[in-house]
Amino acid sequence: MVPVSASNTIAPVRVTPHRASAKEGARQAQIHRLLPKPLLIVILAALLVFSMVPVLYIFFASINSDLAVARGAFWPTELTFENYSKIWTTVDLGTGLVNSVLVAGGVAIVCAGLSVSTAYVLVRYAFRGRLLVLRGLLALQSIPGTLLLLPVFVLFSSAASTLGVQIIGTRWGLFLTYLTFALPFSTWVMVTYLRGLPRELEEAARLDGASPFKILTRISVPLSWPGIVVSGIFAFLLGWNDVLFASVMTRPESRTVAVSLQIFGATQEGGAVPVYGQMMAAALVCAVPVVVLYLIFQRYLVGGLTAGGVK
Amino acid sequence: MVTTPEARTRADALAADTTPEARTRADALAANAAASADATPARTAARRGGHPAPSSPPTGRPRRARKIGERDRPLWMLAPGGILMVVVILVPLVLGLVISLMDLDQYTLRQWISAPFIGITNYVEALTKSTLIQSIGISVGYAVLVTLICLPIGVAAALATQNRFRGRGLVRSLFLVPYVLPTFVVGTVWRTMLQPDGVGNAMLKNFGIDGGLWLNGPQSYWALVFVQIWASWPFIYLLVLSGLQSVDSEVHEASALDGAGWWTKLRYVILPYLKGPITLALIISFLHSVNNFTLPFVLFGIPAPADVNVLPVLTYITGFQNFRFGLSAAMAVISLILIAIPLFIYLRAVKLDTGEDGGSRVRK
Amino acid sequence: MMKKKLALTTALLAAGAITLAGCASGGDAPGDGAGALDGKGKTLNVLTDANTLYPEEQQKWFADVSEKFKAKTGAEVKFETFASANDELTKIQTSVVSGQGPDIYSLGTTFTPTAYATGAFVKVSDDDWKKVGGRDRFTEASLGISGPDKDNEVGIPARSRPFVMAYNTEMLAAAGIDKPADTWDGLLEQAKKLTHDDVYGLSIAYGDNFDPWKFIWAMSTQAGNPIIDGKKVRLDDPVTIKAYETYFGWLTQDKVVNPAAIGWKASQALASFADGKAAFMPMVTATSINTLEASAVAGKYAYAVMPTVPPGETKRPSDGKEAASILSGSNFVVADYSKNKDLSFALIEMLTTAEEQKVYYDTFGEMPTNAKAAEALETDNAQLAPIVEASKLSVGTPFSGAWGDVQLGMTNVVVQAIPSLNAGSVSTDQIISALKTEQDKAQSALDRAK
Repeated sequence: MVPVSASNTIAPVRVTPHRASAKEGARQAQIHRLLPKPLLIVILAALLVFSMVPVLYIFFASINSDLAVARGAFWPTELTFENYSKIWTTVDLGTGLVNSVLVAGGVAIVCAGLSVSTAYVLVRYAFRGRLLVLRGLLALQSIPGTLLLLPVFVLFSSAASTLGVQIIGTRWGLFLTYLTFALPFSTWVMVTYLRGLPRELEEAARLDGASPFKILTRISVPLSWPGIVVSGIFAFLLGWNDVLFASVMTRPESRTVAVSLQIFGATQEGGAVPVYGQMMAAALVCAVPVVVLYLIFQRYLVGGLTAGGVK
Repeated sequence: MVTTPEARTRADALAADTTPEARTRADALAANAAASADATPARTAARRGGHPAPSSPPTGRPRRARKIGERDRPLWMLAPGGILMVVVILVPLVLGLVISLMDLDQYTLRQWISAPFIGITNYVEALTKSTLIQSIGISVGYAVLVTLICLPIGVAAALATQNRFRGRGLVRSLFLVPYVLPTFVVGTVWRTMLQPDGVGNAMLKNFGIDGGLWLNGPQSYWALVFVQIWASWPFIYLLVLSGLQSVDSEVHEASALDGAGWWTKLRYVILPYLKGPITLALIISFLHSVNNFTLPFVLFGIPAPADVNVLPVLTYITGFQNFRFGLSAAMAVISLILIAIPLFIYLRAVKLDTGEDGGSRVRK
Repeated sequence: MMKKKLALTTALLAAGAITLAGCASGGDAPGDGAGALDGKGKTLNVLTDANTLYPEEQQKWFADVSEKFKAKTGAEVKFETFASANDELTKIQTSVVSGQGPDIYSLGTTFTPTAYATGAFVKVSDDDWKKVGGRDRFTEASLGISGPDKDNEVGIPARSRPFVMAYNTEMLAAAGIDKPADTWDGLLEQAKKLTHDDVYGLSIAYGDNFDPWKFIWAMSTQAGNPIIDGKKVRLDDPVTIKAYETYFGWLTQDKVVNPAAIGWKASQALASFADGKAAFMPMVTATSINTLEASAVAGKYAYAVMPTVPPGETKRPSDGKEAASILSGSNFVVADYSKNKDLSFALIEMLTTAEEQKVYYDTFGEMPTNAKAAEALETDNAQLAPIVEASKLSVGTPFSGAWGDVQLGMTNVVVQAIPSLNAGSVSTDQIISALKTEQDKAQSALDRAK
């Protein structure tokens, strides 16, 4: 692990395969294979079936007739894509998607930033109560949302009477809630990530008289992008998926897509035949942004958790 | 993973620098990178196997740096996150605790501040007159089950996609689709599929199995477990997959030279690396399952069948359906205590929260 | 950044609106009827149920109402919708606890007692009744669940959605049945006659979260048990046990219901009827017209009042009520914290005129509560006669703050019995023991009532 060999030690996993000869590549693959090939194929096939069949079903149901879905048909008996055009008027999906992207996106960005700085201090500096804070981060994960719902609502609504700031019903209320709920886990990911980073560059910069904030932004952050992306994505998912808080803290114009979908689903039980096709189509449309986002950041996500998970 | 490609590049760049000072710095950087890594048996073995030990001890930081570090600690950077957590989580939590001591219901809700204080009456009622204990049993049992079943699936998936093969990127993404689907969508879809005459039973019929009832009765418990596994195993898969990336190439090389079989290699060389990520994944996965309200709520509706009357649903019904907010808060607090305390004893045991960093230094 | 700016603007605007509203309401003129009010710069928030059957029509109706009201008083009207009964409850709770939220709620009738219990809604005084056009503007039956008694009323009838029974005219004619029975036993006999192959006599939604208790309540009330009798809950009453036995028996013993119905929501039961697979579909409202007109049974169905003679009887006992349906629909309630009470009453006045209620019926198929409008409808449309009739024969559920608990308990008995139902039999002992548990819970909830 001397500096000269640094690029080599990491290479087989990340870099070399592009450059190495086919033969070398094959040897590397052989060495790195963890499971015998037959087992590997069985596992991959089983898991693909397990996770994708229901997803396929969602798609088939979205282009099938409602009655066929109700009968329990898997394969579509007819092909109609009109559900995909209908849902935009049946459910206010457009507004919902915009709100969700704004809220969850905002939460992701701010949460990533805050978790880096919080984690940085927690990892690099000693202070009284530090361990308590670290444990607290995990403890906060175990508080049930149903306990907090009413108190958070009371608190936010009192802001209107005491501070004159209307939080309930705006995107701000959701933003603040999700941001805070996402912070503990995101910070935890960053703590474990930063622990893995070498300290020497920071020490050197400190000797040169750089301020802690400067060290964080100029040295630690550029090294931590993968971890930051992970924190952000988890925060995004939290904001995207929540229904409990969003259903009481929003008004029609600030409603997130999860709530729009829930409302759509709930009203289907009222009397008429459920429009399964539209429901499934809406479900897929609502999942697409997250899948796309994931695909974009997939490489970072794996790299980032790598560091986050080791310790 | 201890060093990112970026860090490596930086180290390389420094190494290319000709000044002696820069070279030393680069040496130290790489050395520390190695030393601060988890001292798992495998890694130590690999390092012994012909690689020079680091030139400086990992804790050999200049004394002066530490002093400076303590003098201008940028504790203010904790403030934004800290304030948020205090205002949006801790204050409501305290409020919840206060409510759990009050007789807060539909008759007192309007002036909730002046609702009568009734001490621990709610707690007594929760423990003696409600189905709280059963619900805790169901919740914990189901969360443990889900977590334990997700573990081998997640590990197997991670091991299987560790190797480069055509279409690996696609497979990795597809594996994650269930995880990124909103819980509400997952619930709605599975509820449709698991109806008595739904597609689930139609498929089982092809195999000659009469599926029966999935959304009520004893089987509903297994339906909940199954759907939760379907939706959450990729989380463990992700954490394990990333843990695998941190296994150095030389470890693979070394075990290849030893001629170890795949199982031996997996069991004694690779798995020890995954202890950390797996522990974290198990804890978070357990907590997510215990606190998952949306999935059972959407799958089974309310009132929930007795077999899936999980904690979050029970507290929700008690509070938001029956208006017994005090009682509901007491239930939530009891379950918090019953779940969080064993969890933290466990946490201390596995030392998840101590690392080789500021805290351990100052305690010496 | 964009988002921040937007949200900030929203927040500022909202704060501004509130301040404005606050200032303006200081000089509230004593309103003696609509029209005299100046609502300039004020905003009324109205919470109502989302209508996904006619989402576009609902949006248009919102816009029309806003425009009309603005022309009349200068005030803005903003509508919010809730999706489900759970949503509705949560919205009431959060508004009550925080003292802010919508000015007017359009509440499901069964929630009126709960809303009343919170004391957070305006008790409609004689003066207030005048502001909404007088108490006698509304049909007598629709006022049945406005309050515990005439002097303490919070609910102003908004629309009526009585439950009736749809039946397949073709099937009945083929079996030589001239009209649906008016006793539950008679209905069962007819259903047995009509069950053959894959067609069932009755379509029942055992898996629904609301339908089941309405059957039990109706049968019990017809047999003389109002479920809440003064300070006593009577869930374990023999007539209620009999009601459960009858309700479960349709599937297990009489086999006049599709076995798949154990998992059905109301909508799925209706779908089965619409598919021509059932002869009777009890417990539907007029909103089903839309679905049925577009289905396989279009032109081959009619509505009838549900039986009003309890199971096991040929005529109603003397203490039984002729309860054809729960008093179903919605009531307007005005929040006590509202700073625009007079405007709120003015809007309610506007929405409950005969013309407006006619418009509402034409658009959404919900029955008017305005007496004149209801009368006109009955004479105009023969198909609707049974629905209007059911509306008159509706009986309000007990007006108690504990009603929510009782209702949930009644549903819970059905939910927990589903596995046995699936296995083919629900024993009387099982019903009795389940009712015992729910009786205790409900009684303790009633004991808390103030």
